[in-house]
Amino acid sequence: MPDWLTPELTGEIARGVVVTVALTLITTVSSFCVGLVAALGRRSGRRWTARAAGTFVEIFRNVPALILLIFLAFAVPNIVPQSSRPKVFFRNAFWDFLGDLTTLPLPYYAVAAIVALSCNTGAHLAEVLRSGFDAVPQSRIDAARSLGASVRAASLSVMVPDGLRIAFPGVINRLIHNLKNTALVGFVAVPDAFQEIQGAITKTFQASQLLIAAALLYLVLATVFEFVLGRIEAALWRGRPIDRTIDV
Amino acid sequence: MSDQLNFLWRQLPNLLWGFPNNRPGGLVLSILLSGGAIALGLVLAIGLAFAQHSERSWLRLLAGRFVWAVRGVPLIVLLVLLFQYLGTGTILGIEFSAFWSAFITLTLYSAAYQADIVHGGIAAVPQQLRDDARVLGASRLTVARTITVPYSLRTMRPALVTQAVTIFKDSSVVVVLGVTDLTTNARIALGGDVGNAPFWVATYLLVGFLYWCVAFGIARFAERQIRHNASVVGRAYLS
Repeated sequence: MPDWLTPELTGEIARGVVVTVALTLITTVSSFCVGLVAALGRRSGRRWTARAAGTFVEIFRNVPALILLIFLAFAVPNIVPQSSRPKVFFRNAFWDFLGDLTTLPLPYYAVAAIVALSCNTGAHLAEVLRSGFDAVPQSRIDAARSLGASVRAASLSVMVPDGLRIAFPGVINRLIHNLKNTALVGFVAVPDAFQEIQGAITKTFQASQLLIAAALLYLVLATVFEFVLGRIEAALWRGRPIDRTIDV
Repeated sequence: MSDQLNFLWRQLPNLLWGFPNNRPGGLVLSILLSGGAIALGLVLAIGLAFAQHSERSWLRLLAGRFVWAVRGVPLIVLLVLLFQYLGTGTILGIEFSAFWSAFITLTLYSAAYQADIVHGGIAAVPQQLRDDARVLGASRLTVARTITVPYSLRTMRPALVTQAVTIFKDSSVVVVLGVTDLTTNARIALGGDVGNAPFWVATYLLVGFLYWCVAFGIARFAERQIRHNASVVGRAYLS
């Protein structure tokens, strides 16, 4: 251990890693839900539902995640007049409670970051899932229908699980990308791992070593995350053909 | 409302092509930066993909490790890391500014993702086709140049376009080095002035819209081209 690496500094970085992991887990679940709803909405028979879902996807897929983050965290509070701004976004019972719960000084920024990342990753996932749903053979859905399943039951119990299996490699790719996108939340004052490491650099001037450590940290996180997602994919295919094909 | 529009109108040239003393900047610089990185990255990626298909195991390993490492690290970390080594001094007589450092990082980042796509594309070229050409006397290089590369580029075009759009959007991260791209110029335009606070929403809506126009435009244009080409190829098969 080099002598500039004080226990205090390691503690800060460790807390940052916890924030990064928590952000990743939360946005993984939320963006998957957003993506699933948007993909189903886009395939829905109702024209306005499909149109609304399509608009959502095309907007949030084509704007950089960083712009979404800054917009939600820093621009949106300016809508409220300056006098009541702190009360609405930073200091009221709700935010105090959230602050105590997460030990973050300004929880609004973390919530804004979660919403921005969920919308961005969710829109990308919607496209991945939709291509998976499109790839499910119609004959399987028809078979379910002829056995008496309603349209909703056929899509929820045949199309969604099969489509998810087909689309899962793309889902893994996007979720890994999302993990790396969490490194951007430092821009909006969320103390994640990279933000804490940059803070440590300004204190110790050990830029090269700390940056290499940051790169290795994300490599490890991405590798572990990919392994876990791979296990989930294997579980999805359990008891099904070994060559991972969907029977017609 | 009118002072909002007034502010946007005053800042529009700065956002589109940069501040007067620092041109090209803004959206034009974002396009140049990402366009250059995508083009140069593709050349690198083709090299990397061939290395991954090489018969020499050390070359396969090296290319594979490079792609794995770059894909596992966030772009912002790579940007700051490489700037630490390239940006603070001269290497081989070249002074690396933040811009060139960002350009090199973005190129390597782009190449790693494109290499995976090209890797898949090469694997999709029928082996028979390559073997036939070899039997007819073509050298390895000729086969690569006239069969493998054009054939795989065609099958991989949709994926490459998606990747190009992603690189364009990700180029907004260069704000961390202060390269005067669209995101940075929006920040500079708003500045630390509290009086500009009412303009934040409008400015970032405009910035998001500008990114959206280019990203959506590229995707739509490519989609149409690919559909057009597919129909031409389909007709050729039918006749």
